[in-house]
Amino acid sequence: MSQEVEIKQVDSIKFGVLSPVEIRRLSVMEVTTDETYDQDGLSVPGGVMDTRLGTIEPRQRCKTCGNLPDKCPGHFGHIELPVPVIHVSFAREIERVLQSTCRQCGRILLPSDRISDYREKIREFEENYGIVPDQIFDQIKDEVRRSNRCPHCGADKYQVKLERPTRFYERDPDGVLRLLNTRIIRERLIRIPEDDLRLLNIDPEVAHPAWYVIEVLPVPPIQVRPSIILETGERSEDDLTHKLVDIVRTARRIREYIESGASPLIIQDHEDLLQYHVTTYFDNEAVGILPAQHRTRKTLKTLAQRLKGKEGRFRKNLSGKRVDFSARTVISPDPYLGIDEVGVPEEIAKILTVPERVTYWNRDWLVQLVRNGPFIHPGSEYVVRPNGARHKLQFVENRDSLAEALDIGFIVERHLLDGDFVIFNRQPSLHRLSMLGHRVKVLPGKTFRLHPSVCPPYNADFDGDEMNLHVPQSIEAHVETSMLLGVKKHYLTPRYGAPIMGAIRDFITGAYLLTRKDTYLTKEEFARIIYAAGYEGKLPEPEVKKPVPLWSGRQAVSLLFKEDFNYVNKTSVGGPSRDEAEIIVKNGKLVSGVIDKASIGAEKADTILHRIIKKYGAEEGHRFISSFQKMVREFLLLRGFSFSYRDVSLPKEVQGQVEKEANQADVEVNSLLEDWSKGRIKRIPGMSEEESLEAYIMDALSKVRSKVGSLVSSSLGLDNNMVIMTKTGARGSDLNVGQISGCLGQQALRGKRIFKGYIGRPLPHFRKGDLSPVARGFIKSNYYTGLSPVELFYHSMGGRESLVDTAVRTQQSGYLQRRLIHALESLRVEYDGTVRDSYGNIVDVIYGEDGVDPSKSDHGKSVDAKRIVEEYALSAVKKGKPADRQTVKRIIEEHGRLLPVNIQREAFHAIVSKGLSKQAARNVVEQILREYRRALVEAGESVGVVAAQSIGEPGTQMTLRTFHYAGVREANVTLGLPRLIELLDARKTPKTPMMTVYLKTPYNKDYARALRVARKLVYTTIEDVSRISLKSTMAYDYLVIHPVKEWLSERGLTEKDVEKVLETLGLKFNVKSDGSFEILIKTDPQKFESKIRKTPVSGITKVKGVLLKEEGGEYCIVTEGSNLVEVFNIPEVDHTRTISNDIHEIASVLGIEAARAALINEMWKTLNEQGLDVDWRHLSLVASAMTQDGEIKQIGRHGVSGRKQSVLAKAAFERAVQVLVEGAVSGAEDRLLGMTERVLAGSEIFAGTGMVKVYVDIGGFLSRSENNDGGESVAQQQA
Amino acid sequence: MVSKKNISKVNILEHVLVPSHKVLSSEEREMLLRKYNIKPSQLPKILASDPVAVAIGAKPGDILEITRKSPVAGVTLAYRIVVEG
Repeated sequence: MSQEVEIKQVDSIKFGVLSPVEIRRLSVMEVTTDETYDQDGLSVPGGVMDTRLGTIEPRQRCKTCGNLPDKCPGHFGHIELPVPVIHVSFAREIERVLQSTCRQCGRILLPSDRISDYREKIREFEENYGIVPDQIFDQIKDEVRRSNRCPHCGADKYQVKLERPTRFYERDPDGVLRLLNTRIIRERLIRIPEDDLRLLNIDPEVAHPAWYVIEVLPVPPIQVRPSIILETGERSEDDLTHKLVDIVRTARRIREYIESGASPLIIQDHEDLLQYHVTTYFDNEAVGILPAQHRTRKTLKTLAQRLKGKEGRFRKNLSGKRVDFSARTVISPDPYLGIDEVGVPEEIAKILTVPERVTYWNRDWLVQLVRNGPFIHPGSEYVVRPNGARHKLQFVENRDSLAEALDIGFIVERHLLDGDFVIFNRQPSLHRLSMLGHRVKVLPGKTFRLHPSVCPPYNADFDGDEMNLHVPQSIEAHVETSMLLGVKKHYLTPRYGAPIMGAIRDFITGAYLLTRKDTYLTKEEFARIIYAAGYEGKLPEPEVKKPVPLWSGRQAVSLLFKEDFNYVNKTSVGGPSRDEAEIIVKNGKLVSGVIDKASIGAEKADTILHRIIKKYGAEEGHRFISSFQKMVREFLLLRGFSFSYRDVSLPKEVQGQVEKEANQADVEVNSLLEDWSKGRIKRIPGMSEEESLEAYIMDALSKVRSKVGSLVSSSLGLDNNMVIMTKTGARGSDLNVGQISGCLGQQALRGKRIFKGYIGRPLPHFRKGDLSPVARGFIKSNYYTGLSPVELFYHSMGGRESLVDTAVRTQQSGYLQRRLIHALESLRVEYDGTVRDSYGNIVDVIYGEDGVDPSKSDHGKSVDAKRIVEEYALSAVKKGKPADRQTVKRIIEEHGRLLPVNIQREAFHAIVSKGLSKQAARNVVEQILREYRRALVEAGESVGVVAAQSIGEPGTQMTLRTFHYAGVREANVTLGLPRLIELLDARKTPKTPMMTVYLKTPYNKDYARALRVARKLVYTTIEDVSRISLKSTMAYDYLVIHPVKEWLSERGLTEKDVEKVLETLGLKFNVKSDGSFEILIKTDPQKFESKIRKTPVSGITKVKGVLLKEEGGEYCIVTEGSNLVEVFNIPEVDHTRTISNDIHEIASVLGIEAARAALINEMWKTLNEQGLDVDWRHLSLVASAMTQDGEIKQIGRHGVSGRKQSVLAKAAFERAVQVLVEGAVSGAEDRLLGMTERVLAGSEIFAGTGMVKVYVDIGGFLSRSENNDGGESVAQQQA
Repeated sequence: MVSKKNISKVNILEHVLVPSHKVLSSEEREMLLRKYNIKPSQLPKILASDPVAVAIGAKPGDILEITRKSPVAGVTLAYRIVVEG
């Protein structure tokens, strides 16, 4: 009787609504009783726990399909409701349909000709595009809303109102509200013709509106709502079961009441109760209902809650799943490991397994592993026979005989061993470098060990961080882990095309100490460190021969370079001595300079590692950085390096200097306070006197900290262990040094000095209104001497703020990252080089404007043409006369046609200046082209995800608060994370709209002229330049306008201008002797006054303030407030360069392409201002995606993500239930082409290696090869 | 989206942010569609009411070739199809 379960591949998912007919057809039984179990604990037939609904009890067969629990899929039942009930989630849809159709005849409220117009339009779109844009349905909705009467039967339209959650009212033309009961609603919905429904974006075949009113409710199988047995032996039912019982019980009662002829009121009450139960069964958080609760006051988790949100089905169980073959533990550093290794505790290695197929070649080895069993390390856990039978070795009594029986085709699940590739990960996984492939090294201990150099990509440290490890289970997965995810392949980050890994902390200190000019080593020492680095060759000649032979540290390092390696860079130590300020490697010899952060550090471009990778490839780079760090490690072990209390104590005289510096600030502030009390403070434009004073004080105090930092740092010098660390870039900064040994400086709260606390003072230790440095959080002490109680308190206030700031920022940037990923995840490079979404729509014709993969670029550059030419010129033997410009041009056109124009230009100039011959030029151009081709993106690259990660990942590092440039001069601009979010959100107006207005030639060179234009821009009303008062006499009211000279001149105006404005208003007025104007008021004085007050005198609307700025030898005007159109119309303004920071404004004035360019520029500026390096191509792609539809779309649910075609992708992002309802109503079909959909469906994604298809009939191929004596049978014979 | 009041009296095509837009001839159009094996609807869009589209007199259905200035490539081409709106 049992039926086999068929397994098929899902191609697409069609959404719809179950009809009552279908529900009954699907049902295996009707639930008629609200009893669940009888006294014996057996389920009651006809109840919600009826065994016909499926089985989950072990060894119990299902009454319907006859299968055991593992095979029984579960079966639906149904409940017949005595009265129809509204489905909450569809209430809005019902409202929409009722509003759009006639209450009499059910036709859509559109005249016949419009109906056919729209049908034609929809048909056209379906034919040409496959989908109908939402705008059409929006248009229909608008048109329907405007009609007042049915064009078909002439009946009046009544206004239908939905009172959440499920009550409908209609308002007749007399304004009387009437409740619509569910039966009426259902009848009206049934009446609507199917063709009319299509115009409402409803597919009547799969989602007829009549079905939104439930008359029969499906009862899900028990697999969906399993009961659990508590420790007490009590049975506890699932929330859904509780709700179903409520529904059945209420339904039964209603039937009883109807039969017994109870009063309609009682029946109505119970109908409402039924509606409530059904509503909460679907959605227990619906607006306007009291959530249903357990006896314990816990709200029930019903259907909508199961799907919704972070803990819902989509995000918790479908987009990501729990996995086997993984481990997690604390991490700790181990500099003795290779950079691409991970130390795995033996305990873990004995649990994680790798399936290994027995072959002729590995049989003996696997036999031994099976013999060792599960408890001895190189052992195994399981043996699987070709027929699928599994032996768990823990329970096998005679392992030896099983081992002997091992034959080809068996699979041994062996322990994790050295050399296996595993995926190592640290959360938050913000970019692809958060999951890298490492080689296993089994070690004693209980923590994962990793090389300190892989900390930067993971952003890991060892203060208790934990990491995860995953073991690939197939050969394909193993190969992909090593070849695609391997640490070696990821030295260069796609975010900016430079190494993200490199030496950190002590490795930098050690590198510096080793390469210092006075570092000399004895033969033993020298041999030891070069041996540790893996150097195998001749010992070089010692640099010092007498009295004992000594080798320099630089000699040791030089052994690691290839002979043709050259490198020049500034060091981070810098300093007066030229030997330390510049590092020079010439022909593989470290000639001068020290190696420090600038030349070996992580997250840096143009380090030695970077240059080696670019020149010789990643493998050589790996070899170099590994041996270099081993050398440094061994050297530092010999030399020793520590840091003690003595290193932070200052000599007496320096202490004095620090004190003087702090006191100097005190004096300055005191004189400022003095000036202020006498009213001599010079006001900063746009600020009050108090604000100006604060700005000056903060300016004075903020200087102290940086001054003290450099003072202390320079006085301690490079013999001090702390300074060695800060100067080399190993750890800490001058600021830290200054705070430890010098003085802590000003503590800030919200970018200002400390003002919070008691009235007029932060703490009761001070007088009210005390503005002196000490009273407002200036700390003269340092960490070395310690802080006074008051200082400590202020310091903690600042500390608290930065903690809160970090917490808020991580949340914001995390959400930003999620939105970016969801918006861009499906964008990938196709075989034709275009960037497309999963439905084949082109986003960019060429990826990133030049088709280059940022991770293969050289810090953003596709090829360094100049370097190639120079190197060629050096290496090649000069022959032939230099080619002339024309020839070079022709050669480049001929051979370098495919190069981007700027590379062509660069190559041209380099070749001409180096005077290469014709042949040499040709060779060099070809080489440039080769290298350019090598840097191109590969088909299948998930460029969208990479872009999203490259913008989202640095988001966490951005400061949250808008930054004030010490208060003086600069305008207050939204910067950092808030600005980035604002841009990607495509907010209609930025928080701080701004224009940079450039001027035409005579005006931009001269300050006075520029100022005149600037003043003309400021929006000025009468009230801004005059005192206004009302004067009343017995008969009349007068408005007196008294222009103020200073105010006028501040804006470059005179009284005449005010007079002119009043004239143009057509008002009669008298000019008084004191220059004021008197106007007779004829209307309401209040209204009249406010009208006059707001009358503009000059300037441009929205421009609230201006600021003159010098930029590149010319004056330009920065405005507060933006109004491009009107600024363009001012003749002095250079309309070709003037820009705004309001992207929407640019789009409407200059078009979508200009908006795209502006969007990129703004993002670029925002990131760079924060010192974050992000490749241009990522920004370009994001901007392309946002402007793809010709208007600016937000990165988020109302924009790029919201207009995706896939229902599943949208549901997995936000508002799951609503998205599903919309999909169901319109009968959407999800073809599972995008990334999220594929993951949800459990299939391979169409990107990267998943995009490759083999067009070979594998079945046919295999059968033929078997006939021809295939490889396998040969192996068997040999065995 | 573009209201009358946002139409500026100056020639916006001269602005640094506005790249040059050109309507493709029917041959170029065919070449492009064949090169990428696409229907016009798969291209990025530009509204017929876009200030630049208005300025160069592009009609719905036209394909515009846009020559963008690029800091990474010097110059790069992009295409947009004009749609109603």
